[in-house]
Amino acid sequence: MTATSATFGGTRRSALREFGASVVTIMVKELRSRMRGRRAFIVLTVYLAILALITYGVYATVAPAARGGGFAPGMGGGGANASALIGQTIFSVLSIFQLILVCFIAPAFTAGQISMEREKQTLDLLISTPMRPGAIVIGKLAAALAFVVLMIVAAIPITAIVLMYGGASPDDIVRQQIVLLATALALGALGLFFSALLKRTQAATVLTYISLLALTLGTTMLFIFWSVVMNQDGGGGGFGRQDRAPEQLMYINPVVGMLDVVSNTEPGGFGAITGVLAQLRGEEFNFGGGMQCNGNVCVAVDQFGNVIEDAESASGYWWPRVSITFVVLSVLLTLASMRLVVPTGMRWAFTRPRRRHALLTPSPGVTVDSGAEGTPTIEELGSDAPPPEKPAP
Amino acid sequence: MMTATPVVETRGLVKRYGDHVAVAGMDLVVGPGEIYGLVGPNGAGKTTTMKILATLLAPTAGEAYVTGIPVDADPIEVRRRIGYMPDFYGVYDDLKVWEYLDFFARCYGVPANRRGPMIGELLSIVGLEEKRTDYVEALSRGMRQRLCLAHTLVHDPALLILDEPASGLDPRARVEMREILRELRGMGKTILVSSHILPELAEMCTGVAIIDHGRLLRSGSIHEIERSLRATALLRVEILGDETLRTAAADFLRTDSRVGDVLDAAPDRGGVIRLEAAFDGDGDAQADLLRKMIEAGHRVVGFSQATSDLEEIFLKVTGQTDEEAAA
Repeated sequence: MTATSATFGGTRRSALREFGASVVTIMVKELRSRMRGRRAFIVLTVYLAILALITYGVYATVAPAARGGGFAPGMGGGGANASALIGQTIFSVLSIFQLILVCFIAPAFTAGQISMEREKQTLDLLISTPMRPGAIVIGKLAAALAFVVLMIVAAIPITAIVLMYGGASPDDIVRQQIVLLATALALGALGLFFSALLKRTQAATVLTYISLLALTLGTTMLFIFWSVVMNQDGGGGGFGRQDRAPEQLMYINPVVGMLDVVSNTEPGGFGAITGVLAQLRGEEFNFGGGMQCNGNVCVAVDQFGNVIEDAESASGYWWPRVSITFVVLSVLLTLASMRLVVPTGMRWAFTRPRRRHALLTPSPGVTVDSGAEGTPTIEELGSDAPPPEKPAP
Repeated sequence: MMTATPVVETRGLVKRYGDHVAVAGMDLVVGPGEIYGLVGPNGAGKTTTMKILATLLAPTAGEAYVTGIPVDADPIEVRRRIGYMPDFYGVYDDLKVWEYLDFFARCYGVPANRRGPMIGELLSIVGLEEKRTDYVEALSRGMRQRLCLAHTLVHDPALLILDEPASGLDPRARVEMREILRELRGMGKTILVSSHILPELAEMCTGVAIIDHGRLLRSGSIHEIERSLRATALLRVEILGDETLRTAAADFLRTDSRVGDVLDAAPDRGGVIRLEAAFDGDGDAQADLLRKMIEAGHRVVGFSQATSDLEEIFLKVTGQTDEEAAA
């Protein structure tokens, strides 16, 4: 029986269903071992406890000052403004903290996924099943992310406290969630990539976190350095204008994405964070006078106290770009990981099978090769160098 | 598999790692229902050959087919037909025994309604029914080996590729493993099994390939291999008499052109002299020699071909290559 006809007769749809089933298989197995026992429960509890503590800490710090009215210049004391200030501060701090936690946790879950299988010598068993390597990689990523997503989503009620105070809208929370999820996805894919690339989990973990540093601090420092160098080269185009590094550099910085979300909650859409983000784009926002608020209405003023009428908030520029970049990055990293999971000796074998058949029919080229290599010389056979049974452990 | 398509077929299989030749032109044919043993010292190329068949390595040159399907062109389809047990492997020890098998059954796309009963059957074949809900972590080495064997069976493959399934097992576990393999053969599975110990395989294999330095040295049934080595069969002769007769008997043996070296064997025991002679001839020739000895007045009480030690065969066969190589 030549099986080729039987299986390749299957439609594309059934192949897709098979792929899906494989992904689910891996997910079920991963979640079975991950969610069992107390570990997952404890991690989740600790995570939420930390966020709750932070929330309380921020509240305890900000509330008295806000109510006292002396917290921020220009802010009217008490009333709705104080409440909004509390909400906004809590939202900002929570968002940044959650981002930092996700940045550390997401890669930790994926950086061992493939290399651990190699270390424990279970990968060969897995790969010798008919599952597509792509399904294995996606299943592993999905299982790891499922837990991170659970953590992110479980924290929504804590974040939602800010809705009680005002200062941040449900839209802001949605944006925050998108940035968090995109970050988790990208960093998870990054960890998985290094896990597939390297033999040792330790090395994969170290490289993943180094990359994380490069994405955050690295891009920032490069941006500053680049901009400084450009201006030293005499590129400074006149007074008050500075040349900058390409802003695309910041599309891979999750912190910029989150700061952008946070900046949207700054009173009236302007504030310190907005200013910094605007500078990244080289826009001159002259808020020399900061904000002036009257009740709930805040306006931007320049250093002379004139109201800037047409000032447009710069927030909302970065977070979609960062999120989309991260999603694209994840796809690329996942594709690369799929390639890396295929055993070294078989990497090319996963092109479309049909074409392979044509190639495989004994062609002169192939047989010449075998003729040359098929007859090892006596020296080769006699060499008493221990022949590696395995391709390097 | 009703057709006569060999379950395993390789033609001129070559695998190189850089300058090193791990498999140097291997031709193997394993028919349906066979238990076929690959025997060779460590580093002979057994594992490499098996990995190529298990689609984990691409051959440098040559062709390999499993049930007629080329392994490098259609690995996914080949994998559906084989169960592979590597020589070194790990288990997911944070799963329960049934979950472990369930996982692999899902990997092979076994439908949900068949998984449950099938897991029960497999566990009973490998004798782990009692351990169904235990964690894999808690299994002994022999049990893990059997669990791994069970995992190769979840999709009812035509061919089992078992790389050193008995390595690291105590004698009792080895016997159990052998029993399981026999049972599997009874179920119509073709089994390709490797070992660096020939006797371990000899008892159960229908065919054996002795390989060394990536080359197939001998193949066929154990008997065929033994016969092909008959040229140097060892005759064990026991003669009634005392020391004075020993030299006479030895001299008489040497008169036969087919006899090589004559050796003093074990010390005499109760008036019986024992001699061992390398003999180059078949059964007829042996009977001939015996008749002549009796006619010459030797009181022969024992005349036998030393049951060739399989270890000896193995050393002899693999030793020949070393000589060839040295030449």
